Amino acid sequence: MTTNPMDTRLNELVERDRNHECPGYGHDHVCVRIVAVAKLPSRFGDFRIVAFWNNRDQKDHIAIVHGDVVGAENVPTRMHSECLTGDVIGSLRCDCRDQLETALKKIGEVERGVVLYLRQEGRGIGLANKIRAYALQDQGMDTVEANLALGFRDDERDYAIAAHMLHSLGISSVHLMTNNPKKVQELEQYGVKVSRRLPHLLPPNPHNRFYLETKAQRSGHFIDFAGLPRLQEQSDPVVIEGMPE
Amino acid sequence: MQREVIVIGGGIAGLQCAKELQEAGRNVRVIERARGVGGRLATRRFEGQPIDFGPMFLHGHAEPFLRAVKDVDGVVMQSPWPRRIQGQGTPCQPDAFAPTEQRAIIPAGMNCFAKHLASGLQVQLNTRIERITADGNCFLLRSSADEEFQCQDLVVAMALEEILGMLGTMGAVPELAPTATLLGMFSSVPSLTLLAAYPLEVPAPDWDILYPEDSPSLQLVSQDSCKRLQPRFVTLVIQARPGWSRERLEQPEEAWSTQLLQEAAQHVGEWVLHPLWTSPHRWKFARVDRGNELSRPLLTPINGNLRLGLAGDVFSPGGGVQAAWLSGSALAQRLLNEE
Repeated sequence: MTTNPMDTRLNELVERDRNHECPGYGHDHVCVRIVAVAKLPSRFGDFRIVAFWNNRDQKDHIAIVHGDVVGAENVPTRMHSECLTGDVIGSLRCDCRDQLETALKKIGEVERGVVLYLRQEGRGIGLANKIRAYALQDQGMDTVEANLALGFRDDERDYAIAAHMLHSLGISSVHLMTNNPKKVQELEQYGVKVSRRLPHLLPPNPHNRFYLETKAQRSGHFIDFAGLPRLQEQSDPVVIEGMPE
Repeated sequence: MQREVIVIGGGIAGLQCAKELQEAGRNVRVIERARGVGGRLATRRFEGQPIDFGPMFLHGHAEPFLRAVKDVDGVVMQSPWPRRIQGQGTPCQPDAFAPTEQRAIIPAGMNCFAKHLASGLQVQLNTRIERITADGNCFLLRSSADEEFQCQDLVVAMALEEILGMLGTMGAVPELAPTATLLGMFSSVPSLTLLAAYPLEVPAPDWDILYPEDSPSLQLVSQDSCKRLQPRFVTLVIQARPGWSRERLEQPEEAWSTQLLQEAAQHVGEWVLHPLWTSPHRWKFARVDRGNELSRPLLTPINGNLRLGLAGDVFSPGGGVQAAWLSGSALAQRLLNEE
């Protein structure tokens, strides 16, 4: 079986990282290594999946790569935080599934790109606390103080891990897909050059149409058709095509 | 006017919180119901020999916590006890032996860490607070001996269920409703504990700590005397599993201590049945289980100008002594920075 040069380059990173150790990124001094690479054709496009080990927890962070990214510049990049309820179950309490699908589709269609899938379920403290936050909401008790105590959230750590992952992939600059300009600065703090910000627009669908219908509440809670507040679990605001950013 | 702070609970969380507030120039008092500080980081003495019957050793990975531990007189951090671990059962904290964790013991007794934190603090012992009232511009605290205390910033640093009990004495405070609902979703686990002393002549085991994998009742047996520089007795500390403990919490001590001793004898040897001395202890709220922790302490404004802070082992990821210490430290910083 022949291996194309792009796969060879990715596979070489596993060998290169075998003994990788660095002072680490961010307040947690997080360091990652590329430990495995494989082909991952998906319904959203033709991808390679790259698994990372890290020195802080037992979570395997993932890069979903399309095209030849090693050593490339201006690589379209999306950071996505794991959300089991949204990503897998298709929960409508958040828009994570829409955000992930849109990112994979867009990146699958262009020459090259990366989705960093950060395994920070419940924003750092686990799924159970996220469900506790939902339970508090169900009782009409959700407060900023309670949500922060439940672990919403350690953004800083996401950026440190993401920056290291991009460096490990040899990506020198990115076009970051985000609606949050702060994310650009945060990532640049860790030495990732963000040469452009690409708005992350979600196509309208029956589940997110209410955003368009209640566009006045840009910063506040969006209440969906079921009467539940829609949680912003990715650290960007949701922007639907046709909605002013 | 300087805001007065009172900390209820002289365990690790409360003491660290008080220490950082005092170092920042705040006027702080710690009120502790027991006759000594330390809370669950507990040490007893048998004929002068210390026996730790709460956490068996300290462990952690957070730099500031490890520095605080390093500061304690006589602390052992270089390949400390337990070196010889027996059995495949799980430790109370699954991470305790992870490569990221540093461990430590204190030969003079684990509660020396608490005494160290408390030195220089104003600590009032033997005082049980029975009622808290949030008055217009101060918290009013009343003790079981009818002593009264006042403060503008109140810290309650205890086991989760004890905090809920303390909040319960305040009656209906609208600002605290979400807090009570939130804390009601969490719980601690109990551990019935038995301390036993034997003459040095017994055939002491060749391990420091035993985690039996197949015992219905035993979580661990610790050979505490191996932590001491010149032990005059062999001492064992037997801690029971949470489920087994919960079923027996209301039973008389004699019943469960005899069962624990018999089960320990099965694993250690017949000699365990003949101690010189035993002492049972009921840890109703021994610790939090993994997945039952919050990420930070809670700070709630009440009546506009009062603040109620909550700290303890449940208020930091991971649980245990490190979490208690970190939560106390984080709460002090919030009280100082969110004015």
